[in-house]
Amino acid sequence: MRFSNRAFRPLTERWRGLLQRWLDRRSPPAKRVTLDHGKLFILPSRASLGFLLVVALLWLLGTNYENNLVFALTFLLVSLFAVLPVHTFANLSGVELRLLETRPAFAGDYAEAQIHVGRRGSRAREWIQISWPPEAGAGVDLVERDSADIRVALPVVRRGRVRAPRLRVESRFPLGLFRCWSWVDLDVEFLVYPRPVAAGPLPMGAVSGEGDSGETIRGGDDFAGLKPYQPGDSLRHLAWKQYAAGRDLNSKDYESHADARLWLDWDLLGGREVETRLGNLCHWALQAEREQTAYGLRIPGTTLTPALGPDHLQRVLTTLALFPVQGG
Amino acid sequence: MAQSREMLPRESLLWIFAAQFAALLPQFAQLPLWIVCAWAFAVYWRLEVYRGRRDLPGRAIKLLAVALAVGGLALSYRRWFALEPMVALLAISFTLKNLELVSRRDAFLSLLLAYFVAATLFVYEQTIPYALYGIVCVVVITAALAAQLGSFSARPRRALGLSLKLLAQAAPLMLLLFVAMPRLGPLWAVPQDTSSASTGISDSMTPGDFTRLSKSDKPALRIAFDGPVPPPEQRYWRGLVYSDFDGRRWSQGFGVDPREGGVVNWSGRGQELPEVGPRYRYRVIQEATNNPWLFAMARPLSDTRDVGETADERLVKKGPVHSRFAYEVRSWPRETIAAAAELSDFERRRNLQLPEGGNPRTRAWAEEMRASLDAEEISQRLLAFYNRSFTYTLKPPALGADSVDEFLFGSQQGFCEHFAGSYVFAMRAAGIPARVVGGYQGGEWVAQEEYLLVREYDAHAWAEIWVPGRGWQRVDPTASVSPERIRDGLQSAAAEEFMQDALLPLHRISILNQLRLQWDMINYRWYQSVISFDSDKQQNLLQRMLGEVSPLRMALFFALPIAVALLGLLLWLWLSGRGRRLPPASRLYLKFCKRMARAGIERRPGEAPRDFARRVRAEKPPLAPMAERITAAFEKAAYGGDPAAEKQLRRLLRVPMIKM
Repeated sequence: MRFSNRAFRPLTERWRGLLQRWLDRRSPPAKRVTLDHGKLFILPSRASLGFLLVVALLWLLGTNYENNLVFALTFLLVSLFAVLPVHTFANLSGVELRLLETRPAFAGDYAEAQIHVGRRGSRAREWIQISWPPEAGAGVDLVERDSADIRVALPVVRRGRVRAPRLRVESRFPLGLFRCWSWVDLDVEFLVYPRPVAAGPLPMGAVSGEGDSGETIRGGDDFAGLKPYQPGDSLRHLAWKQYAAGRDLNSKDYESHADARLWLDWDLLGGREVETRLGNLCHWALQAEREQTAYGLRIPGTTLTPALGPDHLQRVLTTLALFPVQGG
Repeated sequence: MAQSREMLPRESLLWIFAAQFAALLPQFAQLPLWIVCAWAFAVYWRLEVYRGRRDLPGRAIKLLAVALAVGGLALSYRRWFALEPMVALLAISFTLKNLELVSRRDAFLSLLLAYFVAATLFVYEQTIPYALYGIVCVVVITAALAAQLGSFSARPRRALGLSLKLLAQAAPLMLLLFVAMPRLGPLWAVPQDTSSASTGISDSMTPGDFTRLSKSDKPALRIAFDGPVPPPEQRYWRGLVYSDFDGRRWSQGFGVDPREGGVVNWSGRGQELPEVGPRYRYRVIQEATNNPWLFAMARPLSDTRDVGETADERLVKKGPVHSRFAYEVRSWPRETIAAAAELSDFERRRNLQLPEGGNPRTRAWAEEMRASLDAEEISQRLLAFYNRSFTYTLKPPALGADSVDEFLFGSQQGFCEHFAGSYVFAMRAAGIPARVVGGYQGGEWVAQEEYLLVREYDAHAWAEIWVPGRGWQRVDPTASVSPERIRDGLQSAAAEEFMQDALLPLHRISILNQLRLQWDMINYRWYQSVISFDSDKQQNLLQRMLGEVSPLRMALFFALPIAVALLGLLLWLWLSGRGRRLPPASRLYLKFCKRMARAGIERRPGEAPRDFARRVRAEKPPLAPMAERITAAFEKAAYGGDPAAEKQLRRLLRVPMIKM
């Protein structure tokens, strides 16, 4: 039962904190975890209430009709209920989980972790559900194989390095009357890129104002001045910075275009919020990669020279993802 | 995605129908046909949905189905508070649930219902075949429950195997609970099965009734004695007394049956026990007859609950015997009853009653004897008359209006009811109070189990006459015609005619007879040890097993097996948690790996020992010499099977970490 009442919230928060600390002590984070009696919990599931109700009704039937066969059936079901937790427990005990890899994801998307699930011994393991609640997660059976690799997804909202919460490993084998579960911390950390935010066309040939980046653009791109934008003007020559700052759209008038390299420049997006800027840069980087245009990144503290290819893209996105969070 | 986990796996649907079918199959015979058809149709519909040819019914159709079902039940059953409508209601719930079998929860509910339906079967029948069938039901339902989890469990062999395994493991605890759980009496009055017609001896006797019974070899009574066993000629199991004759039919007469206000002494209350002890103590297990009368020897007394004695020395039950019923009886010899002084006026008139007219020859003959002879002499004359010229047959000729005259002076062929009826008629005509008694006579002695098996064909009718000063005396006219009937039973008395209508004359094959007797013995043991296991027997059994029934011993009785089981479980968990035991060399190598991990260099999964050693050299050069020596020794021990290398490995690992 979940306390939604506001008055209880501090209490439940505290309780959760305590529980978390207790779990951390009991099953510390590790890349490889074997489930055992120290980490597994088991309780009757909600379905078992129905089962016990039927047992109670059968007992009444047997008592009122003084019918020993009905009694025998009642007691058989009671005994079955007593035997079940052993099987449910044994289904998870000795299951081994290992984190294989995590895939970077964009904020607002699902990040996936690839997990290796193995078993000790040759006993069949069935219907193991691994998830980050409330997500559905993935199910796995180890019946005719000793191990399986599965992917479990977690929705991520914020960029940066995101530490995943504990994974829930659950099974209701064999009859669904008992639920055995464990909270496993596989030390999963996702690299989350900023969410791409469309920022218009690529800033081809655009440069930021002098002094901002500390770098000067030399060699033939003699800047002549601004002129009002007219349809037909090259997009590369738009005065992005001024436009972003709220002025009219102007074209820059060049006398020569020696440096045509694409720079994704922090300063081009002046006036926007930090996260939006990062999102815009992310979007541009993806677009440039798609269009096979070499691109460089210039953000406060880091400059990556223009290049192409998945490695370069990953470098750019990682830089964006790990950009320090502003204002604490 | 969250939804899909709760949806029903497709394979499990067939399992649910199999479980429903198994639970309902024995009920099909007594359920109204329309319910069976509705169930089959609902299953068909759901399977069509499964094949994608049809949609699940909408709300309107479901409501219509519910309305139709309720209407059908109301039409089929007049009474609601009874067993049959309740079973029908369960069957209908099955059917309706099938129309909305979508989620795992629906399936679970349906299977729980199936358990309950399977149990109601036992309320009707508690015989061994039904019990075995009940086990099959439970196995199938449990397998269906297991199959709900999905792909692997839904395979037939896997699901059935799992179900059998779970139930087999549950069986010991079930036995413990069965033996030791206290049985409370009924908490409230429950409706009984009233559908089946009454069987056995009825409350009236017309010519032909007993002939009908003689064609059935079904068991009627099983009687176990505590102490002496009566000789064959004493084995008269009285069930009914017929005092009223209307010219053709003998019946109890008004006001005798407890249901019509007859006086019954329930459970020996206020009864003065005779000074002499009972001659026979016995326990009768009676098959269901759906009639309230029980069977016992003359002068019975019973302490069993709901059993009472009537004024005419019979036993009756408070309600009809709807299922096998056992009762304890003590019977006193008639001579010990001092109260046989005088017959009350009412009783005398009742037992001298004859119809207005008819049977003039018999009346005249009796009148003639009455003038010169006393009661016992008249009886002797009559019995001698039977003995002289009468025939005992299972196929007596039909009789007309003056049935007694025709029998006595015409056909002279008859079955027990003819002899008893004509005898009592003649005695009454001669002014001697007399009555017909119906019940069973004889029985087959089952030596191995020491009980008397009385079958339907042992049904018999005889007479009782009032002798002043001695009271009611039993007279069996059949005995004077066919003494074998009394001594050896019907089979030898009418060998030619016995069971002639049976499809196969199986009773003539002695091996089959032997087998039938064996089967009856198993049934008897089943009934004695399982079906009639009540709180008394439970107390006795526990007493025998524990010495005394004290809370401490009961606690031990429960706790010991459970403790043993838990210990075994712990052991198993411990052993299975450790996985398979590796060969010694590998275990030693793993120990080395663990040490290296502690030193900060962990062997990767699947990394070959030699690669690992190379990595150690690269990352932790000081540890390299030791690591290489250990690796070499391990390789020699593991792959070369070199015992010396293993010893060396052991020695190398004895060196503490620091020195490595």
